[in-house]
Amino acid sequence: MTRDITVDDATAKRLFEEMLRIDVFEEETKARFGEGEIPGFVHLSGGHEGSHVGMGAAMREDDWLAVGGARLIGQYIAKGVPLTEIMAELYGRVGGSNKGYGGQMHVADVDRKLYGHAATIGSGQNPAVGLALAEEMQGTDNVAVTTIGDGGTSRGSFHTALVFASYWDLPVVFVIENNEWAISTPSTSLSPDHLSDYGKPHKLPTESVDGSDVEAVYHAVSEAIDRARDGGGPTVIESRVARLVPHFEGDKQTYRDSEEYERLKAEKDPIANYRERLLDAGVLTEADVEELTAEILAEVEEAVEFARESPEPNPEAAYENVYQLPLYGQGE
Amino acid sequence: MTREITYVEAIAEALDEELARDDDVVLFGEDVEEFGGNFGETEGLYEKHGRDRVRNTPLSEIGIAGMALGAAVGGMRPVAELQFADFAATAGDEVFNQIPKQPYVSGGRLTAPLTIFAPSGAGIGAGAQHSQSVHSWLGNVPGWVVVTATTPYDAKGLFKSAIRDDNPVFFLPHKFLSEQRGEVPEEEYTLPLGEAAVEVEGEDVTVVATQLMFHRAKEAAEQVDADVEIVNPRTFAPLDTETIAASVRKTGRLVVVDETVERYGTQGHIANEVVESDFFSLDAPPKTIGVKDTPIPLSPVLEQEVLPSADRIAAGIESLF
Repeated sequence: MTRDITVDDATAKRLFEEMLRIDVFEEETKARFGEGEIPGFVHLSGGHEGSHVGMGAAMREDDWLAVGGARLIGQYIAKGVPLTEIMAELYGRVGGSNKGYGGQMHVADVDRKLYGHAATIGSGQNPAVGLALAEEMQGTDNVAVTTIGDGGTSRGSFHTALVFASYWDLPVVFVIENNEWAISTPSTSLSPDHLSDYGKPHKLPTESVDGSDVEAVYHAVSEAIDRARDGGGPTVIESRVARLVPHFEGDKQTYRDSEEYERLKAEKDPIANYRERLLDAGVLTEADVEELTAEILAEVEEAVEFARESPEPNPEAAYENVYQLPLYGQGE
Repeated sequence: MTREITYVEAIAEALDEELARDDDVVLFGEDVEEFGGNFGETEGLYEKHGRDRVRNTPLSEIGIAGMALGAAVGGMRPVAELQFADFAATAGDEVFNQIPKQPYVSGGRLTAPLTIFAPSGAGIGAGAQHSQSVHSWLGNVPGWVVVTATTPYDAKGLFKSAIRDDNPVFFLPHKFLSEQRGEVPEEEYTLPLGEAAVEVEGEDVTVVATQLMFHRAKEAAEQVDADVEIVNPRTFAPLDTETIAASVRKTGRLVVVDETVERYGTQGHIANEVVESDFFSLDAPPKTIGVKDTPIPLSPVLEQEVLPSADRIAAGIESLF
């Protein structure tokens, strides 16, 4: 692991702050879920924060993010969706980004160019190719970044997306967050040395980076985005991270070796590592970190209050948004 | 002013006009460029509108449907062709889980104004995986507007509306009708989605039928000693229940014939809608007729056996009197 800081101070601070925001938000989410305030499932990002934030920071606001994998909340935050809207959506309330229709798996924010998760793992990559096609046909230089986990790469839909993206040479960056576990199935049982190797038959540029190093991800994704923006077509990046949390809250992780898990927690925590690096380099002081943490805690507390106070949807709303009405040609 | 053109020419005209009308329309699918589509439905479009607007794809319905969804969300108005309606199943997740649900789960924040069009139906000996009528599959997933076409007039007017509609629309022409000729206006027109058409007026019995079954119902009407009213639903989801019910209130009898299989097919749903709302206007139990509960066999003899024939429809009508 490099100890150098390879970005300017402002960027370094931003990267750290965003990772911390994900961490604090998710700790609170875990607590609220534990108290029964959040319905459904909750999948947390622990260990993925560097990957999410490095990727998010490499993107322009007008680039699409088509989120995938199972660890999503951190990606929503990295794309800039307000914490209030995310938390209210987790609560299933009207103040949520999707007014309570979507929940944890489906936060969608077209205005911020966040394409909501497909929820069936691996089905978001072809829409990402379509988003890239739309940008290209509209004459912009915006790109689409799409994420998937190691498990999702086993689905044919993922491979189809590579075929289509390379067939038309579209501006798409595929980021595979390989945390080595598809719930309980290890990615080490998959054949490629690196999951980015799946791009090789399509003659796409591929790269495998340490996804727990936020700067490494930032540089790799930036390079791929620049290439796509300049007409250089798709790239496949493997971001190797450790899953430092259960698959979902409540998963007992009986399939994991506990000593190995503890080792990963000690070695592959992107936030703890980066904090140390920034302190060593003098970019941040302990006091800065404390101050920042306090600010983010207040922000997250506000998000929880917003979610709690946001009304439950009117039951009648269940029938809205199924169709855009009137249908074409009616009522004219 | 009208002229006679074929059903597949009507489809090609609809595509041509919509590509010319709206720069956001993009057509893609397998073999839509020089090859011109399996039934000639995209002939000449690539030459006229160029490769940017008319695009061949690699062979994967997952890619075609999934990409259409993204392109629609991203601001285009994609028209994606599947060569056979059966292939809705080869893009199962996209067709059943993604496209019809994304606008809903986003709380209405995103729209997916895309059209998938795919020839459906039996009758050309294409076998079990190339002959199904899938509008009951699709109608079962709220979010899809499901449109079928019966005549060249329908095919052009409904397809143009499908492309312009802001919902995901599954547009299903019938492959056996490809060469059927019919009158189509010279001037531009569209037909409303979600509205059934009373195609033939009658007093004694309502027959609901579309696509090939509509034409067979017309034959059957000639054979029976009853004044038959024929209603063409055009859109199966959402269904124009009111036009059908109004017809039954007039005639007192209902036969629903469709090319979906009888088990959990469209026939039962349509009959049920009328039974629930207008039971006391019925003079006889509704009769439902569909494909027998088998896959579509290849042999023309076997294929015709399982499809509703004009005779079977005529017998169904007579059974109500």
